[in-house]
Amino acid sequence: MITFESVTKRYPGGTVAVDRLDLTVPAGKTMVLVGPSGCGKTTTLRMINRLVEPTEGRILLDGRDIALSDPSSLRRGIGYVIQQTGLFPHRTVEDNIATVPLLNGWSKAKARGRSRELIDLVGLDPAMARRYPHQLSGGQQQRVGVARALAADPPVLLMDEPFSAVDPIVRASLQDELIRLQAELHKTVVLVTHDVEEAIKVGDQVAVFYPHGKIAQVDAPQQLLGAPADDYVENFLGFDRGIRRLGFFRADGLDLDTEAVLAEGTTIEQARQAAKRAGESWLLVTSAERLPRGWVALSDLESAPGQETLAGLKLAPYGHTFRVGADSLRAALDATVLSRTGRAVGVDDEGQVVGITSYDQLRAAIQAADEAVSRDAEPGRSRDAEPAPGAAGEGTRPS
Amino acid sequence: MSWAWANRAMLAHYLGQHLYLSLMPILFGTVIAVPLGIACVRWRWAWPPVLSLTSIFYALPSLALFLVLIDYTGLTDWTVIIPLTLFSMSVLVPNVVDGLRSVPDPVRQAAAAMGFGMLRRLIQVELPLAIPVVIAGLRVATVASISLVSVGQLIGIGGLGYLFTDGEQRDFPTEIYAGLVLLVALALAADAVLLVARRLLTPWERGRVRRGTRRVLAVAWLGSRTDAT
Repeated sequence: MITFESVTKRYPGGTVAVDRLDLTVPAGKTMVLVGPSGCGKTTTLRMINRLVEPTEGRILLDGRDIALSDPSSLRRGIGYVIQQTGLFPHRTVEDNIATVPLLNGWSKAKARGRSRELIDLVGLDPAMARRYPHQLSGGQQQRVGVARALAADPPVLLMDEPFSAVDPIVRASLQDELIRLQAELHKTVVLVTHDVEEAIKVGDQVAVFYPHGKIAQVDAPQQLLGAPADDYVENFLGFDRGIRRLGFFRADGLDLDTEAVLAEGTTIEQARQAAKRAGESWLLVTSAERLPRGWVALSDLESAPGQETLAGLKLAPYGHTFRVGADSLRAALDATVLSRTGRAVGVDDEGQVVGITSYDQLRAAIQAADEAVSRDAEPGRSRDAEPAPGAAGEGTRPS
Repeated sequence: MSWAWANRAMLAHYLGQHLYLSLMPILFGTVIAVPLGIACVRWRWAWPPVLSLTSIFYALPSLALFLVLIDYTGLTDWTVIIPLTLFSMSVLVPNVVDGLRSVPDPVRQAAAAMGFGMLRRLIQVELPLAIPVVIAGLRVATVASISLVSVGQLIGIGGLGYLFTDGEQRDFPTEIYAGLVLLVALALAADAVLLVARRLLTPWERGRVRRGTRRVLAVAWLGSRTDAT
């Protein structure tokens, strides 16, 4: 656990970078410091490993004042990842990763072995071990930077804009990788970013900074999106925070309609009756294996001969699907908005239809989720429920 | 050619002397320049005065220094080695400083954040990364030193320079040409040795594009020509 107790950093000349900051970073969690440039977030981070010394106040690491520990040994227990990677250009990937173990007096063979483990852990090709940093892509270099920071298995990891220098696709994959690693390793991570989306994606807790070294709000991401402390935080979070917040609620809370789902072997006459019973103007037609085929409108059923089956009809594409067990309400809403029928298809992991949803069910599910949040201050969040942009229900587009 | 072959023992003697007189200053110059350069990076205020001083040494004509030194060191090798040491040092100090400053800031910062102490960071990170720039300076200093040794012949200690004065007095151009060929060969050989050394010492630089190599060679070549004739 890292605790800031009324910490101030004032530079000669009077600039106050950090102003009486109180902050607690719980052990094993990811705390994201986010704010505009010059807000003091990086200074705050660097005070943890004493690259910057506070002017006033104390910083405690697991209850001990860090000002009392030797800087070099303190730093060997704290991993550090920066935007420009800071990899040693004159050392191979494996030697870069082995840096802190070697400083700690490990044998060369043992340190090399540890390097190989980490190369594997961060998802790098083992063939990279003997390369020099300049022979790697930006994303690969950043993976090496993370591996180097983790090499001596420090309980604390500091990351200063770690993914800002890579392109958006690589950035997203590095963020996913961090979330995966953190689920496995449970480090106390402090990550600095100016990117709110990144903060919300990777943070267990997010600290939003005002421009001049004060914290505006510290909260879990869904609380931040649901109840910003003030106008500054609300503006900083940006557009459609309500929609983005739905990414934290699982779609399995939806009350899916199964009455309007019919196999293609059903006769048109049976389908007409089913539609009237369900009070639906659109029916979803599936294969015998319950894979989605497409939509048929009630008006088309009226004009078709009743003894034929649904298989013979021309169907409207069923659009994006969402996975009921894995996707979020945001993905379900996205699929619904994109569907020309105003309904979206929920499928299971095998792609078989579970049921369909419309705006009515979505509204009910969102209200239920809201009530659950206000009942329980800290609901379990589902990170993997965050849909990739524009890919709700991946790979299930009609052919 | 036949003259050179007949006098090969004499030529080898002067070549050996030339090598000794030109390389000792490089050795001493490096031994002084590296700690001085490190100090100038560590204590920024020291750099401007040191730079002025090295510029003065660089500008001083070696011949004048040879003549001044005779009173103190007599007609010994030191009379040539000391001025050339000062000259080499003044070429090398700026390169050591530039080399250390070329270490990217994030690299320095990452080293500190991983728990490197000041000395360990210098030895394991900063000096290795400064090697290419320092060796670029060594190449200039070495070639210049090789050509300047021949000026020492004006006080009687000049290695291959003897062949120029002797050839001129005896009106025997073959001897001058032989000296010139050996001098240029020596300069090119020394430069080649340094290039190989850089390649071996900096394996991470392979396949990376470096600027400035051509310029160094051209300057060295021009320098040896103007001084030797």
